[in-house]
Amino acid sequence: MEPVIEVSGLKHVYTDAENTQVTALDNISLQIMPGEFVAVIGANGSGKSTLARHLNALLLPTEGHVKIKGMDTLEEENLWSIRQNVGMVFQNPDNQIVAAIVEEDVAFGPENIGVPAEEIRKRVDDALAAVDMTAYRNHAPHLLSGGQKQRVAIAGTLALGSDCIVLDEPTAMLDPKGRREILGTMLCLNKEKSITVVYITHFMTEAMQADRVIVMSEGKICFQGTPKEVFSRVTELEKLGLEAPLAAKVAFELRKSGARLPEGIISNEELAEALAGAFRE
Amino acid sequence: MSMKLEHVSYTYMPGTPYEKEALRDVSLEIKKGEFVAVIGHTGSGKSTLVQNLNGLLHPTKGTASLDGVDLSGKTKEAKAARERIGMVFQYPEHQLFAETVYEDIAFGPQNMGLNHDATDARVQEAMKFVGLDFETYAGRSPFSLSGGQMRRVAIAGVVAMNPDYLILDEPSAGLDPGSRNAVFSEVMELYKKKNIGIIMVTHSMEDAAQFAKRMLVVSQGQIIIDGRPGEVFLKEKKRLLEVGMDVPEVYKLADLLRAKGLRLPGEITDAKTLLAEVKKRKGLK
Repeated sequence: MEPVIEVSGLKHVYTDAENTQVTALDNISLQIMPGEFVAVIGANGSGKSTLARHLNALLLPTEGHVKIKGMDTLEEENLWSIRQNVGMVFQNPDNQIVAAIVEEDVAFGPENIGVPAEEIRKRVDDALAAVDMTAYRNHAPHLLSGGQKQRVAIAGTLALGSDCIVLDEPTAMLDPKGRREILGTMLCLNKEKSITVVYITHFMTEAMQADRVIVMSEGKICFQGTPKEVFSRVTELEKLGLEAPLAAKVAFELRKSGARLPEGIISNEELAEALAGAFRE
Repeated sequence: MSMKLEHVSYTYMPGTPYEKEALRDVSLEIKKGEFVAVIGHTGSGKSTLVQNLNGLLHPTKGTASLDGVDLSGKTKEAKAARERIGMVFQYPEHQLFAETVYEDIAFGPQNMGLNHDATDARVQEAMKFVGLDFETYAGRSPFSLSGGQMRRVAIAGVVAMNPDYLILDEPSAGLDPGSRNAVFSEVMELYKKKNIGIIMVTHSMEDAAQFAKRMLVVSQGQIIIDGRPGEVFLKEKKRLLEVGMDVPEVYKLADLLRAKGLRLPGEITDAKTLLAEVKKRKGLK
């Protein structure tokens, strides 16, 4: 199978306000396969958002290459096709809404690329259904909750025909219910529609749900693996300004005090199960 | 010493088709030295609530006052009262504007009419408080700093006004765990040293549980719960979920452990306590 996203030797250098050269991304190589759900975590300034912007050619490599389904972002004729394939959802739900009615907002993308009217109707209906927002299709977007606005933004990328969605801290500004809605929506799109997901977040409990977690620091990929592999590295995460999920931290401390617990405990359920077992002994 | 809302209602765009009542007959007293978390879903009215508390919005009905001075007044006393309530908005780093860190922080004190020396002292003190070295950062452009540092400059700008009350709107949104801890250790130091009142609007149940002594839950323009976070998270889980909130991870984990037969005391508010209790039950050091 061909990767959806293939990043090789990617370097991104920019000049900051003090006129110094900053290397935001340093020799990143990465492959993301169709249907994968990949979480990206890292401290502020580690390069996560810069990486995200390379994935649909909002930024272009200083060195190296980013290819989307084989299309190099450095070749200008690929831009439209790349941006239809990879949808982006940003942090602030209020900055991504362009229309006064929900369904018009979702239709904005396909209209722009000249999709025929009937096809637009179908795409918008399907996209709104996929994010469970059909009931709100005639609403004014500014009156929706943060979670609902983000779901409209997700629907916008679906209507454009994207089968890969990159989300840059989509839940940072949302209340707990909104956070649950967005993560739930993305997990569902991933499972049921095989949408490839790249999900940047500071919430480790969200990253735990991914197939793979990539940890970034100072413009590099520090380590990556399954959530179990990554979140078992409690001390290393802390050194990077990150935090393992609560259950992983508690399990880590218990082991230090001599408790014999199985490896790879990261969720509350796993820890409760392991401790219950330990108590029956 | 207290800030008070008495039967406050607030209506946006009254008399238009867009009229919306965001607060309905809210009464509240917050004393100096309190640390109050305000939680509630998007559109619950919590931002309207804190903006009434600091005089940015004036009640449609009822009064908002500080130590008996009506905040909506046009008198000198009312202006002085409003200046005693500092507000750090959401993503405050977006509001930095000056060419240097020094000028940005000095803006507030200068506007309050402080002279050069007094302003200078305030800037130095504020920078120390948020952990930014004066020599290194005072002359730099705020826009050359990292996100976490910019947020600290913005907080310093409010701290420099020496407020008796500080309102923080989502202070940890978008910060990584390390930067969040750094920002909160500064806020807590300020809180303890100066004994100011802190009102923190947050979507993070962990922040509310870890730092606040009192928690207000706002829903549909009213305060539906007012209590100690430890007690509220333990006893009001169902209602919290109903209004789109949640409980912190540590409560969820403690609940699961109890369900598996582990006997734990009622109120476990942080990971350390949980760990100590589990160790005790398991006979670990």
